[in-house]
Amino acid sequence: MKKKIIWSMSMIALVSIVFSMVLSGVVSYYDSLEIIKNSTMAESQYIQSGIEKNDDYLDSIRSVGYGTSTQSVRVTLIEADGTVSFDSVADAAEMENHADRPEVIDAHATGTGESIRESETVNMQSYNYAVLMADGRVLRLSVGMKTVFGSIERMVPWMVLCSIVVLLFAVVLSTYRTKQIVKPINNIDLDHPMENDVYDELAPLFLRIERQNETIQEKMEELNRKQNEFTAITENMQEGFIVVDSKGDVLSYNTSAVRLLGIDRGAGQRHASVLTFNRSHDFRDAVDLALSGTATERVTRIGAHSYNLIANPVLGEAGVRGAVIVLLDVTEKEESERMRREFTANVSHELKTPLTSISGYAEIIRNGLVRSEDIPRFAGNIYTETQRLITLVEDIIKLSQLDERAVELERTRVDLQGIARDVAERLRATAEKNRIRLQVTGEAAEVTGVPRILDEMIFNLVDNAVKYNRTGGKVDITTGVRDGHAFVEVADDGIGIPEQDREHVFERFYRVDKSRSKQIGGTGLGLSIVKHGAAFHNVHVALQSREGVGTTVRITF
Amino acid sequence: MRNRFDEQLERLNVELIRMGALCEDVISQAAKALETPTDEFRQIVYDTDHEIDRKEREIESLCMRLLLQQQPVASDLRLISSALKMISDMERIGDQAADIAEMTAYLKDNGMDSQLHIAEMARATIQMVTGSVDSFVRRDLELARKVQADDDVVDALFNRVKKELVERIASDRSSGEDCIDLMMIAKYFERIGDHAVNIAEWVEFAATGQHS
Repeated sequence: MKKKIIWSMSMIALVSIVFSMVLSGVVSYYDSLEIIKNSTMAESQYIQSGIEKNDDYLDSIRSVGYGTSTQSVRVTLIEADGTVSFDSVADAAEMENHADRPEVIDAHATGTGESIRESETVNMQSYNYAVLMADGRVLRLSVGMKTVFGSIERMVPWMVLCSIVVLLFAVVLSTYRTKQIVKPINNIDLDHPMENDVYDELAPLFLRIERQNETIQEKMEELNRKQNEFTAITENMQEGFIVVDSKGDVLSYNTSAVRLLGIDRGAGQRHASVLTFNRSHDFRDAVDLALSGTATERVTRIGAHSYNLIANPVLGEAGVRGAVIVLLDVTEKEESERMRREFTANVSHELKTPLTSISGYAEIIRNGLVRSEDIPRFAGNIYTETQRLITLVEDIIKLSQLDERAVELERTRVDLQGIARDVAERLRATAEKNRIRLQVTGEAAEVTGVPRILDEMIFNLVDNAVKYNRTGGKVDITTGVRDGHAFVEVADDGIGIPEQDREHVFERFYRVDKSRSKQIGGTGLGLSIVKHGAAFHNVHVALQSREGVGTTVRITF
Repeated sequence: MRNRFDEQLERLNVELIRMGALCEDVISQAAKALETPTDEFRQIVYDTDHEIDRKEREIESLCMRLLLQQQPVASDLRLISSALKMISDMERIGDQAADIAEMTAYLKDNGMDSQLHIAEMARATIQMVTGSVDSFVRRDLELARKVQADDDVVDALFNRVKKELVERIASDRSSGEDCIDLMMIAKYFERIGDHAVNIAEWVEFAATGQHS
């Protein structure tokens, strides 16, 4: 820009110099032409009168040397027929006929005539003036003068000198000015435009910049706020969240994604391919499908966890612009799903076993294959099996009630010792059958709870202690308060639980010794009921056992 | 111009990750076919192997284009030249996995038999390939060197399987044919481990310019 300004300034100077020089050359040419005309005219009158009065006049003209120098007047006398009778410079006899010269023709016609003719010398011309004398001869005066170009040419050296001076001046001045203009612009503090001290012409610009700065500031704040909101939302999501562009490069992700995919921060980075996050077959497939415009949802295993992998394309006007990938940890859900399936299978199996027996006995009786005296025994068997079924269904109902917490059960203050004694009474007959000593010791322990559920819990524990015992063994039920917490403890010196089974005994239908389950009876739901009851009351169940030595279960409130 | 070059380099990077992931897939699939030798599982291995071959050609031409059109230097050149070497190792992994799958068709006995250590070999090689691809993805030299060291584990397992098979032939002559097939499968796994080591070495070369 600076160069352009200097350049145009110089051009303006140059053009104006040339133009003015040419103009002044032309003007001065016409001025001098006018002067020459007038003086020639006057001179012609003198010479004319001189010739008319004195015949020697012409000779004296020649002797004076008229017309020999470049700009003096050349005098020529032309006879009426056009022959030259006298010329102050050349020999008249050798000169051609002048009758056809324009000034001579004009002089014959109107008395005077003039013409301008190019000279043989470059840039010179002659002004010719002719007067018709009284005797019919024509007197012609001819003056040499510079042409227009000649007069301009004379100015060229001046023009060059002038140009150099003016150009220098123009360059220096315009450089200085452009510096003055540009310097403040270069030094503008764009962050605080109104604080700049510059010339007035820039004020509107600064005002505008100031406003735009404010707008930008507002927009930035808004964007930041939105970004923060977005980050807050995604960062607090339990689900992994990854946004990729159309090339599969990561645009954004949250910490859950990093956690779920098990990558260290250094590996997965923005603007890196999403495949650096995970490259398992399912993941690749889901991303590729999403980027080709198909939304997918699938369950995939990454490491030890199951994830629900949802990949959705982000569609723009020009097709797919990227994809959003959401990862949900469904390991627990899958696990509970698996347990539910197992439970259903177990329940069906447990329900079917007594029913098959019942159906078998009934079939034999129906077909008349049983002697009438055997019928009571068969009926007894059917009765036992139905009792087992009823117990099983009752247990399942209890469990599902605890599971659903559908029934609103009233909590009251109850004494654990009372419940323990009650339970012991109910089980005493069974215990005595196996010669097991059953005793309740300790002190009263009051807790807040649902008596029915507490009763179930203690009943199941004592029932197990009796069931999985040896003949002549013992079961101790202790209640009391220790460290401000009420507790009930059921200890036996029975068969114990093998170590590998200990963590499973609270699972539904889990039997340590599957082969003996029928013989011992029970539904396999007892400890499950204890576990759910404990969860219901928010109490702690601790199980200690040694195989062959005995088992102790303590419930601490 | 540079931008386009960077874009192509990034594409090379992504394609290599993809090919590495396919290699991880193909060995797991081969191990699966060994466990359950059905035509269906074998076919999955062959399909993945074909895909790996396609990927190799694709990456090869990409590398050639990069070399000819961009004349890369220094680390870029190292990356591209090691990519060319890596893909041939990866391609071999695919072929050997396909070979394993093919062998499963003739086995009378289950290859993943718990008395043999082939299952361990499969696990160890899968881990090595995963490690080598991971070291490439993260440019993790430490991991690359760990993969190179892990080869000893696979080699030791191979020797163990060899001994076990020798004992088996000695005790039961009729199982000879099966044992030789199993021996070859073990050898393929051992070779896959070697290729994983090669990949890890090229990762190291791409990063440091030193080839061990």
